[in-house]
Amino acid sequence: METISLQNTLPNVFAQRNDVDSDVWLQNLTFEKQKLYLVEANSGTGKSSLCSYMFGYRHDYSGKILFDKDDISQYSVGQWVKIRQKSLALLWQELRLFPELTAMENVEIKNNITGCQTKEQILRWFEMLGIPDKTDALIGRMSFGQQQRVAMIRTLCQPFDFVFVDEPISHLDDSNSRIMGDILMTEANKQGAGVIVTSIGKHMDLKYDKILKL
Amino acid sequence: MIWKLLRQHISIPQFLGFFLANLVGMVIILLGVQFYTDTQAVYTGEDSFMKSDYLIVNKKISAVTTLTGKSSAFSHPELQDMERQKFVERMGCFTSSAFDVNATFDLDQMTNISTDMFFEAVPDEFVDVKSEDWTFRQGVKELPIILPRNYLDLYNFGYAQSRNMPKLSEGILGVIKLKINIRGNGRNDEYVGRIVGFSSRLNTILVPQPFMDWANSYYADGKSNAPTRLILEVNNPTDEHLTTYLQDNNYETDQDKLDASKTTFMLRMIVGIVMSVGVVISLLALYVLMLSVYLLVEKNNTKLENLLLIGYSPARVSRPYQILTIGLNVLVLLIAFVVMFVVRNIYMEMFQNFFPELETPSVALSLAVGLFLLVIVSTVNVIAVYTKVKSIWNRKS
Repeated sequence: METISLQNTLPNVFAQRNDVDSDVWLQNLTFEKQKLYLVEANSGTGKSSLCSYMFGYRHDYSGKILFDKDDISQYSVGQWVKIRQKSLALLWQELRLFPELTAMENVEIKNNITGCQTKEQILRWFEMLGIPDKTDALIGRMSFGQQQRVAMIRTLCQPFDFVFVDEPISHLDDSNSRIMGDILMTEANKQGAGVIVTSIGKHMDLKYDKILKL
Repeated sequence: MIWKLLRQHISIPQFLGFFLANLVGMVIILLGVQFYTDTQAVYTGEDSFMKSDYLIVNKKISAVTTLTGKSSAFSHPELQDMERQKFVERMGCFTSSAFDVNATFDLDQMTNISTDMFFEAVPDEFVDVKSEDWTFRQGVKELPIILPRNYLDLYNFGYAQSRNMPKLSEGILGVIKLKINIRGNGRNDEYVGRIVGFSSRLNTILVPQPFMDWANSYYADGKSNAPTRLILEVNNPTDEHLTTYLQDNNYETDQDKLDASKTTFMLRMIVGIVMSVGVVISLLALYVLMLSVYLLVEKNNTKLENLLLIGYSPARVSRPYQILTIGLNVLVLLIAFVVMFVVRNIYMEMFQNFFPELETPSVALSLAVGLFLLVIVSTVNVIAVYTKVKSIWNRKS
C-alpha cells in the first residue's frame, strides 16, 4: 500500500453541521508513505472516528476512503484481516490491551500471528521504555502510562506501510515521550512507512512533514 | 494464549448441564437404534424357513361354498390380478399331491405310528433351507420334508403324554427316518423321509417342488389342480391396500403372520416414539449449549473484538470455542457408547434366555448413527460459533 486518500470524507454525525472547518473532513487528502503527519484536534472533532474508519472498524461516514485506488468500504473480512496483519498498524487511544494477560503476553499475542519481531527486540523496547521489570506483570495492575508503552510495543510487532498512533503520550513524561517517538520513528523508517500521529495538545516532539487541523 | 483469554467466563454448570442432557438424549437414541436392531433379529429369526414378509393366502371357506360346491381354487384371471398388485413382490402357488401318501414313524422297535397324509410344494425360492438339503433327484429314494411345528407339539403334548411315550426334540427328529409309502396310477413305492426343518408359519407338509412335479405325473395323471393357496412376498405386511384387497376378494391370510407384523409395527412405533424423545432431548441440549456459547461470546465480546482488531481472523478466534464444543460432543458420544454397551449386555442376556439360538446382531448401525449425529451436531456448533464471532466483526458497521 502506497497511499491513503480521503475524498470528501465526513463522519455521519457531522452531516447536519455546516460549519465544518477542517484540513481533513470534506477535503481531498492523501497520506503518503515515508512521511510524518500530525493531526491536531480538539475533543469531539472525530479523531478516534478517523482511526476507526481507516482500520475498517467503523463505516459510518460519507465520502470515500481509498487505499491506493481501492475503496475500503468494499473490502471483505479476509482482506481486512490481511491489512491489519501486514499493512496497517494502529495504537488505539483506549489501548485495547487484555487486562488478564501479562505485559509480555499482550505483546506476544500479536507477535505470534505476525512473527515480526524477535523476543530480544521486544525485551530491548521494554528496557528502553523503562519497564523491563514489568514484562510478567498483569496489564490490569499497571498504570495507564505503563500500559501506553506496552501498547506501543505491541503496535510495532507487525509489518506495516502506515502506522497510526492515537494520542500515544497522553500519560507519559517528556523523557519517555521522546524515547517513544524515537522507537516509533526508527521502526517506521526501517519499514519505510508513513506515520500519522494524533494529539489534543501534548504531542511528540518530532519533525512533522505536515500538520493538519482536524 | 488465546485460550487463556477466552476461557474466562466459561460457566461450568452450564456446560455440565449440556453435557448431561446431551448424554441422556444420545443414550436414548443409540439404545433405541440398538434395541430395534436386536429385537428385529428376534422377529425375523423366529421362523428360519419362511422369510419374514411372506404371507399365505387362500379363499375363505364358508358353509355356502361347501354346500354349493363352489371351487376354493384360484382361477387364472384371479392369479394374474393378484400378481399385478403393487404390494406383491413375488407370488408362488401351492401344488398339492394328486396321489395317496402313507407315512410310518418308527419310534422304537415296539411302537409304530402310521398315518395317511398329503404333500404340498411351493417354489424353491420361498423355502429358506440350505439348498443341498432341499433337493430331489429322480431315482433317489430319500425325500426331504418340512413339517409344521404344531405337529411336533401335538405329538409331544398330546399323543406322547397320554401314552407315556418319549418326547421328541427337533434335533432328534432330524435323525429319525420316516417310512413313506406312495400309491397311485397303479404304482406303489417306498421312500425314506428326512425331516429337514419345522415351520411354525407354514401349516402344511412340504416337499421339494421338483419332486412334486415329477410325482404328480408319475403317480397320477399329471393333470395339475388349480392352486388353492398362494404364497406372497409383500413389501410391507401392514400395508392397508393389502388388507382391503384381501377383504374385497374374500381372501384370507394366516392371521398369525399379520399379528406378528402388527407386533413388529407396534414395536417399531414405540421405538420410534422413544427415539423421538431422545432426539428432542438432544435438540434441547444442543440449544442449551448454543445458548451458553452465545453467552460466553457475549461476555467475552470486548476480548474477541480486540483480538479481531489486532489482526486475528474470525475463524482463528472461533477455533477455541469450536474445539471446546466438538470435544464435549465427542466425550458425550464415547460415554453414550459405553452406557449403550452396558445396557445392551443386560437385556441381551435376557434375550438369550428366551431365544438361545439367536445370533447377536451387530452394533454397526448404532455406531454409525452415533457418528452421524456427532458430525451433524458438531457442524452446527462450528457454524453457529463462527457466525456469532463474525457478528461481532459486523456489529459496528
